[in-house]
Amino acid sequence: MDSSFTEKESLALIGQMISTAKNNLQKGTGTVFLLWGYLVALISLVTFLLLLILPEPARYNAFYLWFLMAAGFPFHYLLVRRLENGPQVRTYIEQLMAWVWIAFTITILVAVAGLLAATAYRSANPGAPGAEGWFHWLFMTPFMLCLYGFALFVSGKAYRFRPLVSGGMFCMAAALVSLGFIYYSRITELNQIILCLSAIAGFIIPGHLLNGKQAKDVQGA
Amino acid sequence: MFKELDPLLHSQLRLAVMSILVGAVEADFVFLREKTGATAGNLSVQIDKLREAGYLTVEKSFRGKMPRTTCRISEKGLKAFEGYVEALKGYLRP
Repeated sequence: MDSSFTEKESLALIGQMISTAKNNLQKGTGTVFLLWGYLVALISLVTFLLLLILPEPARYNAFYLWFLMAAGFPFHYLLVRRLENGPQVRTYIEQLMAWVWIAFTITILVAVAGLLAATAYRSANPGAPGAEGWFHWLFMTPFMLCLYGFALFVSGKAYRFRPLVSGGMFCMAAALVSLGFIYYSRITELNQIILCLSAIAGFIIPGHLLNGKQAKDVQGA
Repeated sequence: MFKELDPLLHSQLRLAVMSILVGAVEADFVFLREKTGATAGNLSVQIDKLREAGYLTVEKSFRGKMPRTTCRISEKGLKAFEGYVEALKGYLRP
C-alpha cells in the first residue's frame, strides 16, 4: 500500500475497512445453531414417543432424557474452538451476543435447579399444601420457549438476519400455546411437539440458512 | 485553516488497520493481513509503529500450537483516529 494518497481516498479507505468487520458472522456459526436445534428436536421427539408408548407411571421417566442436553456442551466447545482457528475478528455486536447467550444458558440452569429443588421439597413433604409434585414442571416449557424467543429475536435483529427474528417470534408464540393449554390433559405430550417445532423454526432452519449465506458470502468475497 | 493530518495515520496501511480496529473489539494478525492485502512483513512493521505510538495494544498468545497476534485499538488510538477524521473533514469541506 502506498502512503501518498489524497484526503478523498483516505476517507474512502476508512469506509471500506470499517465495513469489513461490520455485521461479521463467523463462518460456522450456523453449525452451533444446528447442534442445539437437532439436539432439542431429537430429545423432544423421542420423549414424545416414549410418553405415548410407555405405561403409567413409568412413562414420566422419559423426561430424564432432557438431561442429555448436557451432552451438547462439549460439542459446542469443540465447535467454538474450531471457529477460532481461522482469521479472527471480534465485533462489538458479537461480544454482546455472546453475553446474551451466556446469560440465556445461566438463566436456564438456574430455572432447572429451582425446579429440581421444588421437586425435592415436594417429595420430602408429601402432605404440604399446593399443587401436585410435578405441576411446576409444566411451566418449564413456556419459560424455556420465551427465553429461546428472546435470545433468537435479539440475535436476529443484531445480525440483521430475518430467519432468526422469525424463529424467535415462533418460539414466543409457541410459549403462549403451551401456557394456554396448561390444563389440557395431554399437555405433557403437546409440549414435546411444541418444543420440536420450535427447535426446527428457531434453530434448525436459521442454522441451515446461515451456513448457506456464509458459503455465498465467502464465494462473493 | 487546514489542520495537519496525523502523519502516523496518513498512510494507507496504518489507516486501514486502524479503521478495521475502530469497528471491532479486536482482530488478529491473519484477519488484518487478509483484509488489507498487505504482506506479513510490511504489516508487522506498521503494526509495530502504531503500537510504539500507543495507538494499539498487541497481545501475543498461542491457539493450540499456533502463535496468534491480537490487536486492539487503545483509548489514545481512538482519540487520534477521531482527530484524524475531524481534520480530514476540513480538507473535504467545499
